Amino acid sequence: MLENFITGKKTLFADGVHTELRVQENRSRRIMLVQGNLTANSRSEISGVSARVYRNGVYGFSSMAECSSSAAETVLKAAEENALFMDRHIQKGKGAFPAAPTGQIPAGRVIVDTEQKRYLAFCKELDAYIARTYPELSSRAVVLSADSMEKRICTSDGYDGHTVSPRIHIYFVLNTQTSSGEPVELTAPVGGFGNFEDVFSDPALLYPEIDRLYEALMHKREGIHADAGYRTVILGGFLSGMLAHEAVGHTVEADLVQSGSVAGPNLGKRVGSELVNLVDFAHTAFGKPAPLPVYLDDEGTPAEDAVLIRDGILTGYLNSRESAQHFGMKPQGCARAWDFSDEPLIRMRNTTVLPGKDKLEDIIASVEDGYYLTNTNNGQADLTGEFMFGVTMGYEIKKGKLARPILDTTISGVAFDMLKTVDMVSDEVIWTGSGTCGKKQRMSVGMGGPALRCKVMIGGR
Amino acid sequence: MEDIRMAGDRVNDTLQRYGVDKAGFWVAETQTQEFNVNSGEFSLLRTLFDNSLSLTVYHQNRKGTITTNKLDEASVHKAVEDALASAESGVADEAYDIAPDQGGHCFHDRGYEPDMERLFERTRELMEEIARRYPRILVEELIVSHSKVHSLYRNTNGTECEVFKGHYLVSIGFAGHEGDVTTSLFGADVTTDNLDRPFMELGTIETQLKEAEAQLVTRPLEGKFQGTVVLTPDSLGYFLYSILSNFAGDSGILEKTSLWLDKWNEQVADSRLTISINPSDPRIVDRAHITADGFREEDYDIIRDGVLRSYMLSLYVANKSGLERAKNSSFSVVVREGTTPYEEMVKGIKKGLIVGRFSGGNPGTSGEFSGVAKNSFLIEDGKITDAVSETMISGNLAQMLMNVADISKETVADGGSILPYIAFDKIVISGK
Repeated sequence: MLENFITGKKTLFADGVHTELRVQENRSRRIMLVQGNLTANSRSEISGVSARVYRNGVYGFSSMAECSSSAAETVLKAAEENALFMDRHIQKGKGAFPAAPTGQIPAGRVIVDTEQKRYLAFCKELDAYIARTYPELSSRAVVLSADSMEKRICTSDGYDGHTVSPRIHIYFVLNTQTSSGEPVELTAPVGGFGNFEDVFSDPALLYPEIDRLYEALMHKREGIHADAGYRTVILGGFLSGMLAHEAVGHTVEADLVQSGSVAGPNLGKRVGSELVNLVDFAHTAFGKPAPLPVYLDDEGTPAEDAVLIRDGILTGYLNSRESAQHFGMKPQGCARAWDFSDEPLIRMRNTTVLPGKDKLEDIIASVEDGYYLTNTNNGQADLTGEFMFGVTMGYEIKKGKLARPILDTTISGVAFDMLKTVDMVSDEVIWTGSGTCGKKQRMSVGMGGPALRCKVMIGGR
Repeated sequence: MEDIRMAGDRVNDTLQRYGVDKAGFWVAETQTQEFNVNSGEFSLLRTLFDNSLSLTVYHQNRKGTITTNKLDEASVHKAVEDALASAESGVADEAYDIAPDQGGHCFHDRGYEPDMERLFERTRELMEEIARRYPRILVEELIVSHSKVHSLYRNTNGTECEVFKGHYLVSIGFAGHEGDVTTSLFGADVTTDNLDRPFMELGTIETQLKEAEAQLVTRPLEGKFQGTVVLTPDSLGYFLYSILSNFAGDSGILEKTSLWLDKWNEQVADSRLTISINPSDPRIVDRAHITADGFREEDYDIIRDGVLRSYMLSLYVANKSGLERAKNSSFSVVVREGTTPYEEMVKGIKKGLIVGRFSGGNPGTSGEFSGVAKNSFLIEDGKITDAVSETMISGNLAQMLMNVADISKETVADGGSILPYIAFDKIVISGK
């Protein structure tokens, strides 16, 4: 556990400025078995202390790869000097942040350091199961990825706290070939928030997951290329989660709104059909822990849910303290940093489209000619809300019934146009917490959603 | 502040004490200073002091790797213990190895010491020039930094490589704005070891500023057709990375899923295409000097005159597959220029698209790709007619290399790669 040598440094904080002091450790563990060959067997432990000072509209930041009292003093001094340099040259002359509530948020858990041999033994059993059960696969890989983040934060005018966020996932990657010899691949992650022992127990409990992936791969190998064009589709939960994160979530990050994102002129306006509701949950969703709970951000703001779209109307942004002041909104704990040497940026937590009332089978039955898209491997979006998602598994729908599977493709659209085409929403949300978002720094994020019937562009031949 | 050579000695002593017979490691000290501009305004100055130790040990043909940013005695001991424990729990494999003794070398690269005042002035100059000449552009984010790295590589076969290197990075993202209209994001990352030229002149920054303003009025493309797609140096990088990592990289060869698995010395691309990895090219700024496996870096061709000459393999996968290892482990891609001036190339296209950025899924082992053609312009009868939106392109990465229509005479160097414009035939272009 990280030692608390930072709270006592508050007496060194400069007057009249906002100061954050943080000590942090990130650990990652990685195992990769490719065809039984161990191609990655690594551990990483990165820690240090950092300080950020806000003065008259500009920030100074400094960090050191050392967890000590003297390092804390060094970075405080350097951050203050950097803020002074910027203030002297830029002279924005903005005032201090509005007063914020103060308090303490304790850590709810500890990081448990599982030995590498335990990880490896577990992965080997999974790999052996795949090898003996499905020998006809052209290749297989089992990848374990565990990353944890522990932080102690103290601020001049906000909450102090201790946060601990471990997560672990195992990815299965299976490859086969189509009848014409074309390679076909499918990947599935299992895992979630917590230490290894919290999430996994017996490898055999994961065999059904592997079996389902294999079955889907066998369907996919018989797949056809999608017919490119503007089509009616059902986005499964993984894709609607991607939509919530990429196509809406990023455009409502207040720093991107200030950079001209499409959410700027649309606040308070209709951006989706009345069936569309979208929330960035902090730590609890639908009465259960969210995939990646966030209780306190790195500016000392306790995290709370941010309602972004209500009944199709854009209602809010995701803010830091600075952007909240700019837009006259309330900060809700979205400013987070990945490494000790990173400054907090506005980041999503657990972003999801809320469920509706339709049953998935009824939605499928309602489509005359379209696609049901179930798996995705990546997504990107733009300031305009134009998005692209990779689709790795899906099916044609013909006359209300699932037909042939499709090969890898891509869908695209413009979020605030596409959301207006949503006319059916399923009653069940599918979550994932394995996502890592890229925006200058990496960040672990959760996302989820129900099945949505809508219209998008689909790539193909 | 760490003395890197002393830290290296500490690692060597610890390895010896634990009886490790085979290992390779890097120790490094890094100082970074960085200015940030957000939403058109200066926002942040960062100063970072970091260390790193990256150690791989080999024990009874088992391998374990540890990374830490602590170089003190206790941390080095823990790192060696952890790496050994990882190795002991690993899978024995005779293919794990490190390079034989490459001797001792020391490199002093240009740009080691930063000039922060000048860096700030160059940054301010860029912002002022954009405001003056491109008033409809809003800079979403500009990150300008200098990183100064003193690193030392050693392995138990006797190799030592000490490097003093420093470089400036200019990373800019921007969009055109007029009223409520916003364009897609444009941007460029440029690495340089000097501040001699205004940032506006680096890489494709100015070209993209012009194109962002031209994208303020777009029309959605209608219908679907097979046409010619010109990839600019900015979008070509994405495709090359996908092609080379899918077909020439470690995983495709180890898993035997690569479409180029049995294609060594065979034609895999148009004969005008030569793709090399050339870290020693003077236009490449950030060099490692030594590979991940401890070999001295050398330039090499992946494709020469359309023929597959090398894969991009680590020593491990080379040993597993019996193929030759890559002669460096960088991605300093250099594509040989063609003979046609860019303007002439466009004039020769009947119907097609210039694609400035591609937003696509991660192409799988089959090489099938599809995605959104961002920052793109329609070509009709040899003329650039409209900026387009909501347009997708799709095709196959392997087939694409065989369908090269032309390669431009002009190339763009951004410090990390040197790329021309390339036109590819038979790409599916589709709109609403």
